[in-house]
Amino acid sequence: MNAKAKRRYGLLALIPLTSLFVACGGGGGSGPTPPPVGKFSNASLAGQYALSMTGSELCGGSGSVFTRVGSFTADGNGNITAGLEDINVCAGTATLEFTSGRYSIAGDGRGILQLTNSTGTTNYSIALSSTATGMIVQTDVSATASGSFQRQNPAAFSNTAIAGGYVFDFNGIDVNGSAVNPASYVGRFDADGAGSVGNGLFDSNIGGALSGQQLFPGGAFYQLDTNGDGTRFGRGTANIAGRSFAFYVVDATRLKFIGTDFPSALVGDAFAQQNIAFTTASVIGSFAFLIGGSSSSGPISTGGRFTADGTGNLSNIVLDENNSGSITLLPNGTVTGSYTVDANQFGGGTATWTDTKSGSFSFVFYLISPSQAVFQEIDSNIVSDGTLSEQTTTPISGAALAGDYVLGWTAVSTDEEDYVGQLTLTSSGSLTGHVDLNEFATGRQFFDVSLSGNLVLNGDGTLANSFTTSLQGNATPFHFTAYVANQNSIYLVGVDNDRVIAGPLARQP
Amino acid sequence: MTLPSYCYVQPAALCTFGPEYEQKSGESMNIKVRLLVGFAPLAVAVTLAATASAQHAQPAQQTDTRVSARSAAHDATQEVVVQGTVLNYSENSVSRPNGAHVTIQTSTGPIDVHLGPSSYLRSHHFLLATGDSVRFVGAMSSADTGSVLLARIAQKGSQTIAIRSTRGFLLATGATRSLSNEQRAQASQNVSAR
Repeated sequence: MNAKAKRRYGLLALIPLTSLFVACGGGGGSGPTPPPVGKFSNASLAGQYALSMTGSELCGGSGSVFTRVGSFTADGNGNITAGLEDINVCAGTATLEFTSGRYSIAGDGRGILQLTNSTGTTNYSIALSSTATGMIVQTDVSATASGSFQRQNPAAFSNTAIAGGYVFDFNGIDVNGSAVNPASYVGRFDADGAGSVGNGLFDSNIGGALSGQQLFPGGAFYQLDTNGDGTRFGRGTANIAGRSFAFYVVDATRLKFIGTDFPSALVGDAFAQQNIAFTTASVIGSFAFLIGGSSSSGPISTGGRFTADGTGNLSNIVLDENNSGSITLLPNGTVTGSYTVDANQFGGGTATWTDTKSGSFSFVFYLISPSQAVFQEIDSNIVSDGTLSEQTTTPISGAALAGDYVLGWTAVSTDEEDYVGQLTLTSSGSLTGHVDLNEFATGRQFFDVSLSGNLVLNGDGTLANSFTTSLQGNATPFHFTAYVANQNSIYLVGVDNDRVIAGPLARQP
Repeated sequence: MTLPSYCYVQPAALCTFGPEYEQKSGESMNIKVRLLVGFAPLAVAVTLAATASAQHAQPAQQTDTRVSARSAAHDATQEVVVQGTVLNYSENSVSRPNGAHVTIQTSTGPIDVHLGPSSYLRSHHFLLATGDSVRFVGAMSSADTGSVLLARIAQKGSQTIAIRSTRGFLLATGATRSLSNEQRAQASQNVSAR
C-alpha cells in the first residue's frame, strides 16, 4: 500500500463504523432499506454463529499474540442480539457476554460487524461465502486478527451430540516458565456422548521439539457448560491432549477450541472423523495442502500438492515455501517421497519427501476422511500446520473455476496484516474484487480497496498455478502460487520476498 | 540460565550481559503467523471400537548425501558470540530473513545479523546507529542473500535484549506472555476493548 492509498483509506478508517452502518442501510435507521445488489444482504446473516480468530494486540506498547473464540446471534436485520466469547489476551483469559452489536452485509457478501461487551466494542470486516460460513478480520487500531465463523446448530448444544471420532489442529504459543515457543498440536480422539474422551492421540511440535505420537494423558474430558452458556451458546470446557480449553459447538461435526492454559495461547478446530478403519490404501489420489507458522527465521507458509498411490508412495510433489522471504520451490532437483498410515487405523500417518537439491520435508497427518486431513510439518526449526485436501481428479479449467470467491489471508511483512474480501474470477482468469485489511504495524485499517489481477493455470491446473493481484493504489502486486483443491477451494501461498502471506479462496454460491 | 524477565520489557539498564547469558540454556519467546485454512468436516456419529496405541510407522528414510539443509535454520548447538561496530542498520532490510538487519564490522570482517521485527526492538527501546559497539549471541546460517547470524541475544552497552528463544524462534509477539503477573498487569493497562 503506497502513501497515496493509505491516505485515501486511512480517512475511511477514521469514520466511525456507526456511520458506515447508516451509509449501508444496515438496520436501525428510519425509512426503507434499499434492496441490495447481489446475492447477499443483512438477511444472509441470521441465527447463531461460532467465530474463532487469532492475531496481534497492542499490549504495553508491544505486539502480543491473542486468541478469541465465541458465539454471536444475528437477527437478519443488522442487529446482534446475544453472544458470548472467550478471549486469551496478554492480561489473561476471560469469558465475556455480548450485550449488543450491529452488522451490515453488502450484496457481494462483504460486511462489517461490531460486537459489544462489558469492555467496549470490537470491530470486524467479514465476507460471507454462504449464509452458513465466512471469513472475518478484526479491524481495530490496537488489534488485528483473522479467522472464520460458521452457523451453529443449537440442536447440537449437548454432550450427547458430541459423539464419535474427532480430528483436531490447535496452534499458537506454549509458555512453560520463562520459555515461550510456537506450538502445534494435531491428533484425534473419540467422544462418547457423555463427556468422556477415549483413544486420544496427538503429535505436538513445541518450538521444534517433537513429541512423536502420544496418548492423551489422564484427565481428558469435554463438558457443555451447565450454567446456561452451554444451551444458549454451545459453550463448554475440555481437556484435550493434556491442555485445557473452552470450546463452542458449531454442530456435531465441528467444534471451535480456545486454549485456557494462560499464558499459553492455543486455538483451533476439531472435525468429526469419518468412521472407517484408515489404512495406507485410504490415502490415494492427488492432494493439495496449505500450512503456516513459524521458523527460526520468522513467519513461514507452505503450499503444495502430491499424488499418493495408495501403497505408500508419493509422486508429482510440488511445493512453494516462503520462509521469511526466502522462497523454496519444488521440484528443484529430483523429488521422491513416501507416506505411512498408522497400523492402529485411527487415521494418523506420516509423509516425507526429499528433493536432491533442497533437502527433506517431513509431516504428520491425521485423516478426517480419505479426502481431508490436518497436516503438521515436523522439520527442524519449523512449527507449521494446516490442512490437506484431496484435489479434484479432473483437469481444472478456467471455465470451471469462474465465479465468485471470498478471500481470507494472513500476512507478515514488517508486522501482521490481515485481509478479507471478495473477488470474481472469470473464465479467462482475470479477477476483480474488493478487500478490507488491517495493518498492525501502522495501526491503520483500509476498507473497500479494489483489487484486480489474474489466475494463470499451469497445464491441467492440478499443479502450481500463478495468481497475481494488485490492490488499488499499490504499485507492487502480490504474487501467489495457487493450488486448486477443487472447484470450490483454492489455496494461495505468497512467493514475494518482502511478505509472507497465505490463505484460501472459498467459492460463494 | 535464563534472562531475567525484566530484560524483555525495560531499557535493560539492569540487564547485564554476563557470561551466564552466553550459555545455550536460556528460554524465551517467539513470533507466529497462523494461516487460517477452512475445510469442510464430515459427519460421524459412531465411536471407533479399536483401542489406540501411540506410534506412527515411519516411512523408509530417504537419505541423499547431495542434499543440503534448507536455508536460515538456527542451530543452537552452533551458537557463537560476535562483537563489533555497527556499519549499517536497516529496520526493514532487503536481506533475508525479512526484518531488521545490522551489519557489524568484526575483527574478522563484516557480518550480517538478523534481529527480527524492528517493532519489537523499538518497543524495547533497543536502537542501533552507525558506530555503536554491539555484541550478539546467535547461530550462523545461510539465506539466499548470503550468510547471516540469527541473533538470539543482542547487547549494546549495558542494554541486553533477547531476540530469539533458545530453541531459535523469534520472540516478538510472544514476549508479553512471559512477564510476571505484576509486569503483565502493568503492560495490559489502558488496552482497548476486547
